[in-house]
Amino acid sequence: MHLEIEKISKSYGNEEVIKDLSLQLEANKTLSILGKSGCGKTTMLKIIAGLTKPDNGSIKMAGKDISDLSPEKRGIVYLYQEDLLFPHLNVFENIAFGLRIRKENEADINRKVNEMLLFLELEKQAQRMPHELSGGQRQRVSFGRAIIINPSILLLDEPFGSLDSGTRQRMQHLFKDMADKFQITSLLVTHDLKEAILMGDQIGFMKKGRLQVYNSRDEFINDPQTGVQSELHFWEGLKNEKTEQL
Amino acid sequence: MVKSWKPFFVTILIVLVLFPFIYLLLLSMSSGWAFPQIIPSNFGFDNWKAITQSEVGLFTALMNSILIALTVASIATFGGFILSRIVAYHKQKNSLILISYFPYILSPVVFGACLSFFFMKVNLFGNMGGVIIAQLIISLPYALIFFGSFWNEKNRNIENLVATLGGNKIVSFVKVLLPLAKGLLLVCFFQTFLISWFEYGLTAIIGLGKVQTLTIKVFLYIKEANFFYGALSSCLLIMPPVILLYLNKRFVFNRMS
Repeated sequence: MHLEIEKISKSYGNEEVIKDLSLQLEANKTLSILGKSGCGKTTMLKIIAGLTKPDNGSIKMAGKDISDLSPEKRGIVYLYQEDLLFPHLNVFENIAFGLRIRKENEADINRKVNEMLLFLELEKQAQRMPHELSGGQRQRVSFGRAIIINPSILLLDEPFGSLDSGTRQRMQHLFKDMADKFQITSLLVTHDLKEAILMGDQIGFMKKGRLQVYNSRDEFINDPQTGVQSELHFWEGLKNEKTEQL
Repeated sequence: MVKSWKPFFVTILIVLVLFPFIYLLLLSMSSGWAFPQIIPSNFGFDNWKAITQSEVGLFTALMNSILIALTVASIATFGGFILSRIVAYHKQKNSLILISYFPYILSPVVFGACLSFFFMKVNLFGNMGGVIIAQLIISLPYALIFFGSFWNEKNRNIENLVATLGGNKIVSFVKVLLPLAKGLLLVCFFQTFLISWFEYGLTAIIGLGKVQTLTIKVFLYIKEANFFYGALSSCLLIMPPVILLYLNKRFVFNRMS
C-alpha cells in the first residue's frame, strides 16, 4: 500500500474531530471522500500533510512511518479550495516555485515548467501575473505548481469549490487527465456527491469524524447515509411527474 | 456670470499651510532681527554654514538622529514583523496584544521616568544604546500591532502551502512572506522612523542630555530663545521626513493603490 493510516484521532478540547480514522490507498489511485462541512475532512487532510499533529495513530507511506516528519519532508502537497498563487510571481515562477526550492538547475526548470505550461494550455500566459488570470486558469497554475514536483500524495481540499459549474467540470476532466499522465496518488475531499463519484477510484464517506471507505461504487450508492439514494429518488420523482403530465 | 470662489479659497489654504514652513526657512537664514526692525539685519546662509561647526553641534545631532531613527526603524520593522507572527499564532493572542498597548497608556516622559531606574542599573543611562532601546519600547509594540492584520487565514494557508511544497520557514519568509508584506514593511519602516525621529521625552530622560538629537536641539534653542538656530534645526528636522514622505508616496502608496 502507498498510504496507510491507522487509528488516527484528534480532539480540540472536549470535541473529538477525528475518531479512530483508518484508511489505505494504493499508488496512482484517487480516493474521494464525501462529507458535509465540519465533519473533519480538512483536519484529516492537515494531519496527513503534517500541518496538524494527531493525538494518536500512525501514518505510513510506502511502508515507512512518516508520523513525526515535518510537512516539508513528507512530499505530500496540500491544495486548498483557494488557488493561493503567489501574487508577486508570474505564472512561470509560480509553477517553478517547488523546483527552485529544490535547487534544480535552470535548464531542467525551464524544460519542466514549459512542458507543464503546454500541458495546462497556459503557454501564452507564462509571463502573466496571477491577478491577470481567470479563476480556471489560476486553478490550473495551482495544480501545475503542485504536480511539477512529483509529490508522493496530492491532497485536495474541495479544490473546485470556488469555480462556476462549467469551469468546475473542465477542471475535473483536467485533473483526471493529469492524474493519469503524471501517475498521481491523491486524496480528494468534497461535499459534492457527483464530484465524489466522478473523481474517485475509491469512494469514502465521512460523518462526525468517522470515515467509511467503500469497496465498490455500488456499495457507496446503495448506502442510504451517503445521500445517493435520496438524490436518485428526487430525480426519478421529477421524471415521473413530467411523464404523468404528458 | 457666477464667479467661483473655489480657486481663491484653495490659494488661501495653500498659503496658510505653507506659511509656517516658508517662515521657518526665512528665519533659519536670518540673524540680528530685533524689535522694531521690519527685516533682519543679516540674511543669508551663515546659519546654515554653522551646521558643520563642531561648537554648534547641529551636524552631530543630525547624524545622531539619523543613526538612532534608522536603527530603531529597522529593528522595530523586522522585529515587529516576526514578533507579530508569533503573537498572531499564539494561544494567548488577545492577552499579548493587550500587553503590547501598555507603552501607550503613559506619556513618554512619565514612561521614561518609570524606566530610568532600570536603565541606570544596566548602564544604559546617558548613552545612545539606552536611547535606542527606550525608543524601541515604544516603536516595537507599534510595529507588532501594525502587522497584526497581515497574519490572516489566507497568509497562514500560504505558509502551510509553502511547507507542503517543500519550503522550510526561511524559504517561506524570504521567498513568499517578505515579498507579500513589502508594501506594509515600507510603510511600517516609515512610521517607526518618524516615531523615533520626533521622539523627545524618552530621549531627554534616558539620554540625560548627553545624547543630542535634533529634537533635543530644537527644544534647547527654544529654551535659550535662539530662534534662528531653533528654526535652522527645525528645518533639518523636517527635511528627512519630507524626503521619506515623497519616496513613500512615489514608490509605495502609488504601487499599492
